[in-house]
Amino acid sequence: MASMGTPAVVMDNGTGLTKLGFAGNDSPSYVFPTAISTSTASKTGRGGSGGRSNNLSTKRGLEDLDFFIGDEAIHAATGPNYSLSYPIKHGQIEDWDHMERFWESSIFKYLRCEPEDHYFLLTEPPLNPPENRESTAEIMFESFNCAGLYIAVQAVLALAASWTSPKVQDRSLSGTVIDSGDGVTHVIPVAEGYVIGTAIKNIPLAGRDITLFIQQLLRDRGEPDTSLQTAERIKQQFCYVCPDIVQEFNKFDQYPQEKFAQYIVEYAERKAKVDVGYERFLAPEIFFNPEICSSDYLTPLPTVVDQVIKASPIDVRKKLYKNIVLSGGSTMFKDFGKRLQRDLKSIVNERIHLSEKLSGTQSTGVDVQVISHKKQRYAVWFGGSLLAQTSEFKSYCYTKSDYDEYGPSIVRNFSLFSVP
Amino acid sequence: MLQIEPHNLLVQKTLTERIFPDSESLKSIDRIITDFDFTTYHISTFPDEKNLVLISIYLKCYDDLAKYGVVEYLNGKYSKFNEFLTILSGNDIEQGYNYSLVLDTNKIESIDDESKNEVINELALLKRHAIAAPFEQAFTRYDELVQTYANSNTYAEEIQQELQNEKVLVIKYRGLDECIYIKPSFDRVTVIFSTVFQDETDKIFGKVFLQEFVDARKRSVQTAPQVLYSHKEAPLDITNYVQGKKDDENKGYITFVLFPRHLVKGDRRDNCISHIQYFRNYFHYHIKCSKAYMHSRMRFRVKEFLKILNRAKPENVDDEGKAIENRKTASGRRFEVGRV
Amino acid sequence: MSQSLKPYLTAVRSSLTAAICLEDFSSQLVERHNRPEIEVDNTHNPELILNPMIIARNENEKILIEPSINSVRVSIKIKQADEIEQILVHKFTRFLTSRAENFFILRRIPIKGYDISFLITNFHTEQMLKDKLVDFIIEFMEDVDKEISEMKLFLNARARVIAESYLTPFD
Repeated sequence: MASMGTPAVVMDNGTGLTKLGFAGNDSPSYVFPTAISTSTASKTGRGGSGGRSNNLSTKRGLEDLDFFIGDEAIHAATGPNYSLSYPIKHGQIEDWDHMERFWESSIFKYLRCEPEDHYFLLTEPPLNPPENRESTAEIMFESFNCAGLYIAVQAVLALAASWTSPKVQDRSLSGTVIDSGDGVTHVIPVAEGYVIGTAIKNIPLAGRDITLFIQQLLRDRGEPDTSLQTAERIKQQFCYVCPDIVQEFNKFDQYPQEKFAQYIVEYAERKAKVDVGYERFLAPEIFFNPEICSSDYLTPLPTVVDQVIKASPIDVRKKLYKNIVLSGGSTMFKDFGKRLQRDLKSIVNERIHLSEKLSGTQSTGVDVQVISHKKQRYAVWFGGSLLAQTSEFKSYCYTKSDYDEYGPSIVRNFSLFSVP
Repeated sequence: MLQIEPHNLLVQKTLTERIFPDSESLKSIDRIITDFDFTTYHISTFPDEKNLVLISIYLKCYDDLAKYGVVEYLNGKYSKFNEFLTILSGNDIEQGYNYSLVLDTNKIESIDDESKNEVINELALLKRHAIAAPFEQAFTRYDELVQTYANSNTYAEEIQQELQNEKVLVIKYRGLDECIYIKPSFDRVTVIFSTVFQDETDKIFGKVFLQEFVDARKRSVQTAPQVLYSHKEAPLDITNYVQGKKDDENKGYITFVLFPRHLVKGDRRDNCISHIQYFRNYFHYHIKCSKAYMHSRMRFRVKEFLKILNRAKPENVDDEGKAIENRKTASGRRFEVGRV
Repeated sequence: MSQSLKPYLTAVRSSLTAAICLEDFSSQLVERHNRPEIEVDNTHNPELILNPMIIARNENEKILIEPSINSVRVSIKIKQADEIEQILVHKFTRFLTSRAENFFILRRIPIKGYDISFLITNFHTEQMLKDKLVDFIIEFMEDVDKEISEMKLFLNARARVIAESYLTPFD
């Protein structure tokens, strides 16, 4: 009743970055680090430790309100009185006290909404234990009295986000999601909105590794600026995926004018020129040839995707091949999708060929399609925004009165969005 | 964060990005931003003219505000920027919203950064200004009353009666059950909030908080407005104006009596308006913060209890979390497992 | 510790120690089943249930101990002087019971008229030290009271600061 007409709040709390915004918008309103810096002066008194008895004697007793989140947190942590911490580790919430306050500030300071008036859509990683869901619901309903809550799996939202691509004909919730952020890359198969948990694979290579790899190359060449920040910028501005490394090396040698680039680092008083060379295509190449940067992880991404789909139930495999969706900042390189599609296709075709030869029957073929779209960077958030603005969204949520009646265990099951 | 700021951070951020752009090309914007109490902003660009930014606001209580001269007040606030800020009226106002402004980012280029920031800040205060209109009107009425009764005996029966009948301004800012009532008089302005608690815990926490609001003046902040709290019963001043559920157990009325010292024209009056209109948000925000703090205490307590309970498990972990194989007493004897 | 609390807790401690005297006992009704006899409604075997006992410090603070051959149910009523304490106790016990699986002996639903219940079976006493279990319940009783009153103090203190910092900027 109270929440009629107010847009739903979509919050995607990732390990590195938090994406906050309102349903219906095409991009998150805030993107900042999932970081909180708390006052160290009151460290002993916080959380009800031994110093509790003298808590009242500390003059104001407002330590729990003295904190910053996001970029402000990182800024504050450079000073002496605050210590920084990241409440989410590997996609899962580790420190509930900090997370609760992170949300408190997100809602009241940044989004400026009264949670009683809004529905909320939160995200969770695949294989999140149901206890974590319950704890989330406990905070959202008991502390914040939010009007309604839906907790969606990130991979499913990434699939929904791909509906904006013209390549997608049927809006199904089946497909393989490749989610590559800063810390880790997941390959997650989803069938009809349900994650196939046993088949999920993680690749320990992601955005940070690419940046470090670029930094290493810059250092080897002795460039004037080899900071992590410069490497990060080069990664974002210059890198792309090439069809073939050997040919690309040749191209660089033949047309150095076109291919080599320069990145100018501006300092307060002077400028430095950094040459950008082979790392333009070598850096993203670590997904396809991991041996160039890592010695312990050697399986290329297309092979992993193939393994994941092969580990899924046989009757959904075709759908999984047909709908491979990219999500996250590290999949943003130019032609990343094309290359993945080509490599994966050749693996699949080879196998089909072999089986045709062995069995002597004609195969109907497998359609491999990788979908890239414009909203890839914040695909999870965008998918959330897309689903939360539908008129049915509220009927899928649990409301505060549902929670009061059944208790936290109600959030163990959410009904899936029916596909229009 | 202790206080709720009156300006909208997201409006400020969006406009700052627009007015101080990073790159040359202008992208189109189309986004919804909310504020407390069912307020929605819509910031968008025109499809063919991306330098024009349309800023619209929707307020739940706009019909009430319109009665108290919100349009004139807002126009007064924003017309000084008329070189680059156009106020739309009549049918030009965006469908579904109450008040629209168009900002021309090309024209604003010419002014210095400081003035640009001033414009951004004023626009971020759009909601504050809208709600401020009835307060301004009531305070102006107070100024008139001060003049009228300057030389009369205000204790006289008939004057008391007149004051009693003074019109009350009603702002149904969150629907019928949660309103702001403003009643001017010659020596004070009374602001009454009606509030409803949805949740049992909130209700009890709220009572504790409100009791402290009532007592604060007696104890330490003598110069603050007087605060009164009544549960269920509406104060006499406004009984005729109260709509909605009359005898709701969860309803309460908080009365602020603003004295002349709070109503001094200029900054103090502005400050007073900004501050009092965010009372409900502040109040509910802190109830929620307290609950969050209680949660963190309880989490700690649960951890402590578990530690105590785990001591009962002989082959389990000790306090530091290390596994103990055989716990022995000082004299070297073992605990017997399964002793009954 | 106030004067009357100590004898109260001493009484609880010795009664509990006496009551937690459990043995494995197979169900006499259902073959190859073993159930906590105290939890069986309308039992056909009244001889398995021992006399329940209430120890009360005052009308607001009491403990009910219901022993049986293979299980003891301990229910505690926590002191609640006013509605603030009531809501705090309610919140706290709910917070605890929603984490009952970690607490092994905590019952998800308290016995009517009490705020929190524990169920100790012979399997618990086989894996855990009985004296330490009793210690846990005693410490629990002490700490809950302390925690509730501290939370109440916190709430009042917080409310005061919040009210003052709201009213100060008016001037």
